[in-house]
Amino acid sequence: MRYQPINLGRWLIWGATALLMAVLPLIFTQGFAITLLSQMGIAIIFTLSYNMLLGQSGMLSFGHAVYSGLGAYIAVHVLNLASKGQVWMPLSLLPLVGGLAGAFFGVLFGYVTTKRAGTTFAMITLGIGELVFSCSLMFPEFFGGEGGITTNRVFGQPFLGLTFGPGVQVYYLIALWCLASMAAMYAWSHTPLGRMANAVRDNPERAEFVGYDTHKVRWFTLIISAFFAGIAGALACINFEIVTAENVSAIRSGGVLFAAFIGGVTFFFGPIIGACLFVYFVVALSDHTKAWLLYLGLFFMLMVMFAPGGIASLIVMQLPVIARGRFRSLLPHYARTGAAGLLVLAALVLTVEMTYKVSVDSANGTAMTLLGVDFDAAGTLPWALAGVLWIVGGWLFHRAWLRLSHTWGEIQAEIAGARA
Amino acid sequence: MSDAAATAPALELAGVRKSFGNTEIIRGVDLAIPRGERHAIIGPNGAGKSTLFNLISGRFPASRGAIRLNGEDITRLKPFQINRKGLSRSFQITNIFHNLSVFENLRCAVLWSLGYRYSFWHRLAGLADARQRADEVLEAIGLASRRERPAGLLTYAEQRALEIGITIAGGADVILLDEPTAGMSRSETDHVVELVRRVTAGKTLVMVEHDMGVVFNLADRISVLVYGEVLATGKPEEIRANAAVQEAYLGTIHEDAAHA
Repeated sequence: MRYQPINLGRWLIWGATALLMAVLPLIFTQGFAITLLSQMGIAIIFTLSYNMLLGQSGMLSFGHAVYSGLGAYIAVHVLNLASKGQVWMPLSLLPLVGGLAGAFFGVLFGYVTTKRAGTTFAMITLGIGELVFSCSLMFPEFFGGEGGITTNRVFGQPFLGLTFGPGVQVYYLIALWCLASMAAMYAWSHTPLGRMANAVRDNPERAEFVGYDTHKVRWFTLIISAFFAGIAGALACINFEIVTAENVSAIRSGGVLFAAFIGGVTFFFGPIIGACLFVYFVVALSDHTKAWLLYLGLFFMLMVMFAPGGIASLIVMQLPVIARGRFRSLLPHYARTGAAGLLVLAALVLTVEMTYKVSVDSANGTAMTLLGVDFDAAGTLPWALAGVLWIVGGWLFHRAWLRLSHTWGEIQAEIAGARA
Repeated sequence: MSDAAATAPALELAGVRKSFGNTEIIRGVDLAIPRGERHAIIGPNGAGKSTLFNLISGRFPASRGAIRLNGEDITRLKPFQINRKGLSRSFQITNIFHNLSVFENLRCAVLWSLGYRYSFWHRLAGLADARQRADEVLEAIGLASRRERPAGLLTYAEQRALEIGITIAGGADVILLDEPTAGMSRSETDHVVELVRRVTAGKTLVMVEHDMGVVFNLADRISVLVYGEVLATGKPEEIRANAAVQEAYLGTIHEDAAHA
């Protein structure tokens, strides 16, 4: 008999995830929302594949976009050949092409990068990333130079009435691949190779002395990770119908590190949260403000300083409190701290936006709108308001935070006492 | 196993030397340990005992000489290759997988020997043999009640027991233990001696140990290593009686052994 206590819970979670992915575009029907959701789906695959390296195997890669990007390039060429009728390849299977391409480059580059772990690994991935990026400028036939390679995802006869022209059809294609990839990567983390990747992360020397070649453990893990990165790349190619050098760039590699870290690398679901938030920052916030990168950077700094385990760890920290039945007594503290935090955030946003207006964008006048309120960024009143918000918000936040940590400490002591 | 391998010593060192820079740490060690023997290596600090273990297990390459396992040359092999040939070792400084649970530590230690290699097509939960073997070892080292605890949170004595568990879990028939009782109280030491005796039954055991009580209690034969050379090898009573050993190193052996 097999002992698997949480199997039912697992099925419920996966079922709920699938259901959520299925109904989201029915709730958010605007084109913008579909675009956002599609990009989130792609980012989830990419970030999870990245975390196979970072969180599960302890490999800090600065060049993961190499695999997604090259997967995307191979996919775009195959797609163009397919639309000319020179090869047979239905669009729905194109991600597999991207995945195999990613895995192929994983075999090639990974053999070199995974010879060493730690800082050496990080440096070599940085080098390979730069190498591939510079190749993208040297071989314009393959990489398309500055303009990239464009394509058209609609070709041939519709399959079951699906042309994959409308965004929502592409979304469902992405959602299916996303779900399958998530399940596969989760399953991988519960295989001998997946567990030995954890072991090599914790103590490579000991892994060697129980019979494992740590180079091979890292290499094989990287190949599988590159496979899923390639799937994400091909889906991006289908979604945007263009692949440019940006797809293999260090910016893309850094972005996925951001996303994984924000979400939390120690738990499987962390990168999923991180990917969604990151896409939201990049896509939605960049529409609203020019200062989105500044907000992203600040957010990342705050996460690294105060919640190095990412959002996932913040969530998991609540579980023992909930199990103890004390979550209710924390709620008012969370509400107070959150409200005070919003005041500080308002102060920050006001200051940053007015500064941008005055110093960068003042040629068009200093009149501006924030949250539907029109005002003059050169006036005294808005700045005074910002100052008041900083002081009052900061003071309230400080107070609320102290009381929250006090209560938190009490509950933790209580839990520890109950365990002992 | 061929006839030659069947008659060869479990572990054999011939003229093994090791230098770090200009300093020769191991200065020509010859040693033959027959199958099934419990062999202790003793000697003052800095004699090269741990270095010798590192050479045998492939952590460092030997500068000269040959090391044979069941008659097969393993001198130039890597640690994982030597492990696959049936030699496993523990470490003086605890060397475990800190973030994994105690059970996962042991399961990782049995995966290769059960032939699962780098598989990403088996579900761990479905590998009954790996789970069973890991749980057997868990029971044997007395950590069944700590099964799900992260190894990094165990007490020192528990971590030492886990260290021994990881070393023997893969079913190696030559076991090297590097100071298994270091830093332990008397009662913990007795517990470890009993544990080592039990889990290495029928295997070849080579151990480095400072506690002479443990050495004279467990070992069939003893080698005394002084400044990178084997001063003497023999049965415990021979070592006790050996004048050269007494002069170079001992005196303390008698007292320690008497106290044990």
